Amino acid sequence: MGSRILALVGDCYGARGGIARYNQDLFDSLADGSVEILILARHGDARGMVLPTGVRQNPPIFGRFSFSLASIVAAWRFRPIDTVFCGHVFMAPLGFLLARLFGAHYWLQAHGTDIWKDRRGLVRRLIEYADLVTTVSRETRRILLAWVDLPPERVRVLPDTVQDVFAPGPAPAALRDRLKLGAGPILLTVGRLASNERYKGHEPVFSVLAGLREKFPDLIHVVAGDGDDRARLEAVADELAPGAVRFLGFVPDADLPDLYRLADLYVMPSTEEGFGIVYLEAAACGLRVVGGKGGGTADAIPDERVGVIVDPTDRPALAAAIEEQLQRGRADPAAVEPYRQAHFVAAARALYARLSTQPRRMTSGL
Amino acid sequence: MCGIAGIHAYLDVAPRVDRGELVRMNDRMVARGPDGSGLWLSEDDRTGFGHLRLAIIDLSEGGAQPMHSDDGRLTITFNGEIYNYRELRAELQARGRTFRSGSDTEVLLQLYAEYGAAMVSRLRGMFAFGLWDADKRTLLLARDPLGIKPLYWADDGWTVRFASQAKALLAGGAVSRDPDPAGIVGFHLFGSVPEPFTVWRSIQSLPAGTTLTVDATGPGIPQRYYDHTAALVERAASSLGSAGSHARVAEAVRDSVRNHLVADVPVAVFLSAGIDSGALLGTMAGLGVRDITAVTLGFQEFEGLSLDEAPLAAEVAARYGARHIVRTVDRAEFERDLPALLDAMDLPTVDGINTWFVAKAAHEAGIKVALSGLGADECFGGYPSFTDVPRSVHWLRPVSWLPGLGALARRALTGAIAAGLRVHPKTAGVLQYGGNWAGAYLLRRSVYMPWELDDVLDPALVEEGLRRLKPLSRIAAAIHGGHMLGDFDRVSALETSLYMRNQLLRDADWAGMSHSIEIRVPFVDPVFLAALPPGPVLAGMNAKDAIAGVPNPPLPDSVRHRRKTGFSTPHGRWLRDAAGAPRQHGIDLSAASRAWALNVWRAGWTGPAAV
Repeated sequence: MGSRILALVGDCYGARGGIARYNQDLFDSLADGSVEILILARHGDARGMVLPTGVRQNPPIFGRFSFSLASIVAAWRFRPIDTVFCGHVFMAPLGFLLARLFGAHYWLQAHGTDIWKDRRGLVRRLIEYADLVTTVSRETRRILLAWVDLPPERVRVLPDTVQDVFAPGPAPAALRDRLKLGAGPILLTVGRLASNERYKGHEPVFSVLAGLREKFPDLIHVVAGDGDDRARLEAVADELAPGAVRFLGFVPDADLPDLYRLADLYVMPSTEEGFGIVYLEAAACGLRVVGGKGGGTADAIPDERVGVIVDPTDRPALAAAIEEQLQRGRADPAAVEPYRQAHFVAAARALYARLSTQPRRMTSGL
Repeated sequence: MCGIAGIHAYLDVAPRVDRGELVRMNDRMVARGPDGSGLWLSEDDRTGFGHLRLAIIDLSEGGAQPMHSDDGRLTITFNGEIYNYRELRAELQARGRTFRSGSDTEVLLQLYAEYGAAMVSRLRGMFAFGLWDADKRTLLLARDPLGIKPLYWADDGWTVRFASQAKALLAGGAVSRDPDPAGIVGFHLFGSVPEPFTVWRSIQSLPAGTTLTVDATGPGIPQRYYDHTAALVERAASSLGSAGSHARVAEAVRDSVRNHLVADVPVAVFLSAGIDSGALLGTMAGLGVRDITAVTLGFQEFEGLSLDEAPLAAEVAARYGARHIVRTVDRAEFERDLPALLDAMDLPTVDGINTWFVAKAAHEAGIKVALSGLGADECFGGYPSFTDVPRSVHWLRPVSWLPGLGALARRALTGAIAAGLRVHPKTAGVLQYGGNWAGAYLLRRSVYMPWELDDVLDPALVEEGLRRLKPLSRIAAAIHGGHMLGDFDRVSALETSLYMRNQLLRDADWAGMSHSIEIRVPFVDPVFLAALPPGPVLAGMNAKDAIAGVPNPPLPDSVRHRRKTGFSTPHGRWLRDAAGAPRQHGIDLSAASRAWALNVWRAGWTGPAAV
C-alpha cells in the first residue's frame, strides 16, 4: 500500500492566489500514483475538476470550528495516515493534534508573512514538534529559525515553481493598440491593490515616473490588479504622475503571459514578498525585473540575468535601476529554468521520500 | 592537520559555487596550512572544496588535497591524522585495492569506496572531512569520535557550506551573522560555547562522533556513530577486576603514544611540571624516540613560585634526554599578541591563552607536531570535580526533594551577597543546584550561573538562549544511559563530553593552528579509553600515580608529589592592570575569571561589524 497524506490547507484546487497555486503544484508533484492525498480546504471548490490520480479534495468549510471538527472526522475515516500536511501556521494546533492522534509525520508549510512575526507561546511550541517544515524562501527559513527551536536540517526550502505557460513569445501588437498604450516603453506591475499589502511598492514607482518621463517621454506604467486600495492609488498616481499610469483592474492568469511579452520592464519594488513568483513568471516571458529589498525576493531574482533588487526608499536608486534595466533589453529565460516544474516535482518527491524514511516523532495517541 | 572548506549547492535553484568565496574561506584559515593550498570545483560547479595543507604524512605532492579517487568518483578534503592508516591500507590491499600514494588521505577515499559512510568507525585518529560522492551525489561530513578536530557547517536552505573554522564560513561572505542566543548564553554559563551551537544562528558545530550526509534535499539528521557514555558503560561491564590494573594502564599509555607518533616529521611534546605531559615524554623516550624537543611555558610573574613550571619541567626533560625549550612570556608580549589572539579565537572562550603561547614557542623552534597531555585529567580523575560533584549530589539530594527550598535559599543568599556577604556569588545556588548531577556539575564549571546572566546580557536574549540551550538537560544528556555508571565514570563522562570537548579541544585547535602546530592528544582516543581498567578500579588506584610510573625510569618524586595547580597564566592581572584597576595582593589565578569572559565577549562577535 502506498503512503497516505492528509492535507489541511487554506486554499488549493478551485481557489485563486499564490498559496493555492503552490499547494496545487505540491500535490500534483506528490501524486505519483502510489500516494493517496486527502485535501481539507477552507476555500475553493474542486467539485467537477479533474484532480491527479490519488488526490481528493473535500468540499470547503470556512468556519474554523466546523473545519476543525470536520477534519477530525475526515481524518478518522481516512486513517491510517502517514503524514499530516499543514499548509498554514494558523492551523498548526489542528495539524499537531491530528498528527499526534494518528501517529503520523507532521509536515508544516510556512509561506512567509505568516511566520515573519514571531509567535511565542503555544504556536511556537507546536511548530517545534514538526518533523519537517518547508518554507518557500531562504529568508523565511532564516526568520523562522531565529525564533523557533528547530534543528536547521529539519527546515527545508521548497521554492515556488513557474508554470510552462510563462515563456517567451512575440509581443502582441494588437494588445498594445487595444489598451491604447502608445509607442513608448511600458513598465508593468501585477499584484493585488490591497490596503494591507502596500509594501508592494506602487507608490515609490509612481513617484519616480515624472523624472523618468523626461528621458522616455512616452513611458507608461501599467498596473494590473484590483483591491480595496485601488481608488487611493489612482489618486496618488494622478497627483504624482498625471497620465503616466494605466490601471487595468483584475487580469485573468491566462492573459498574463501576453501582458509580460508586451511590457518592457517589470517593476515591483516590494519589500515583503514571501517569495515573489511573479518576478520569475515575468522573467520566464523574457521581461527584466526590478524588485525590492526584503522578504524572499532575493530567491526569485537569482542574478543579473533576470534583473536587480533595489531599496524602494532610495528613490534615485530606484529611478536609476529602472532606467538601466530598460536599456538592457530582455531577460535570459535560461535563468528561470531551475524553477520549472520538473525540478519542483523532483525536489518535492525527494523531500517526501526523506520524510517517509525518518522515524516519527509522535506515536499514535489512539 | 590542515584546514578544510567546502560549498555544495544542493538545490537546483541555488547559484553555482563561487570560487571567490572558497578562496576567501581558505584565506581566513591560512595559518592552518602553510605547506600548500588546493581548490577544486566539480565540472558542473555545484560542489567545491578548499584545502590548506600542513604536511605531516607523505610530504610529497602525492598527499596534496583535495584528493580524488582514481575513477574520479570521490573527492575529499580532510583535516587530521589517521594513526591506523597503515593497517587499514594493508587490509584494503589484501582486498585487492591498489594505492598510488603513501598518504592517509588516500586510505580514507578507498575505505569509503569499500564501506561507505560506515567507514568512520574504522578510523583511529583525529579527523574532520568532507567527501563528495559524484555517483550518489552526496556530500558526507564527518568528525572524529571525541571532537578533536572541529567542523562547522551552515545551511541557508539552498546551499550548504562547511569549514574547519566558523570564522572562515563568515569570511566567505555568504553566511548570515545573526546571533544565536543559545550559544551566547552557553558561553557565559560554561566559558565556552557548547556544541552544536556557535554564537551564530546559521552556523552549527557538527557534534563529535557524528556524520552528516547532504543529498538533493539538503543536510540530513546528524548520525551518531560513537557514544562516549556507552563506551564507558561497556568498559564498566567488562568483568576485569583490579588485578594487573597498573600494567593495563601502562600498556594503554604506551600503545596510544606509539600510535600518536606516526608522522614523517619529528614529533615534539608540550611539557609542563605535571605528571601527564612528563609521562608522555618518558614514554616517548622509552619507545626509542631520539632527539625529542620539549617546550615549556614560563611567566616572569611566576618565577620563584610553585606556579613556575620551568624548573620541574627541566628536571623531567633532563631525565629523558630531551632538548628543552623554556619560553618566557611577559606582559608586553601578551598585550602585543592580544588582538591577534582574539582574532584567531574561533568561538568565544575563557581559555586557550597558554596554548597560544606554547604553540607560538614551538613554531619558533621549527616544530610542526607536538604531543599534549590534554585529556588525562578527564580519564584519570585529575580534577577536583571528581570528588566535589559526587559529594555535592550525595549530600544535597535529600534537600533537593523539598520543592522551592533551593530557590528560596538562593534568593536569600543572593540578597545577602549583594548586601556584603563575602562569598562567591555561585555559592547562593548550592542548595538549588547541588543535589543532582547536572546542577552540581554546572555549579562546579560555570563562569556565571543562570540567575546572574540578566546582569551581564540583555534579559530577552537570556530568556531565549536558556530556552533553547536547556543547560541542565544538556549536561544531563552527557550521562544519558549511564545510570549504571559509578561516580568516577559519571564525572569522567561529563568532563569529557562538555569541558574537554567544548573548551580544551576547541582551544587547542585554534590556538595551535594559529601557529601551524598540530597538537596530538594520546589521552583522547577511544581505543586508549577502552583499554583502561573500569572507572571504579581507576578511582581506587591513584591512576595519576600509575601513569607517573609508566616510563622507565619513572617520573621523579618532585613531579609525583607536586600539588596540582592547573595551567595558569597571569593574564587576569595583566588585563586588570591594563584597565587601570587597583592591584590586588598576590597572584590572581583567574584564568576562568568573569572579567576575562566579559573582555572576550566585548571584543565583538555577532552582528555586521564582527570578525
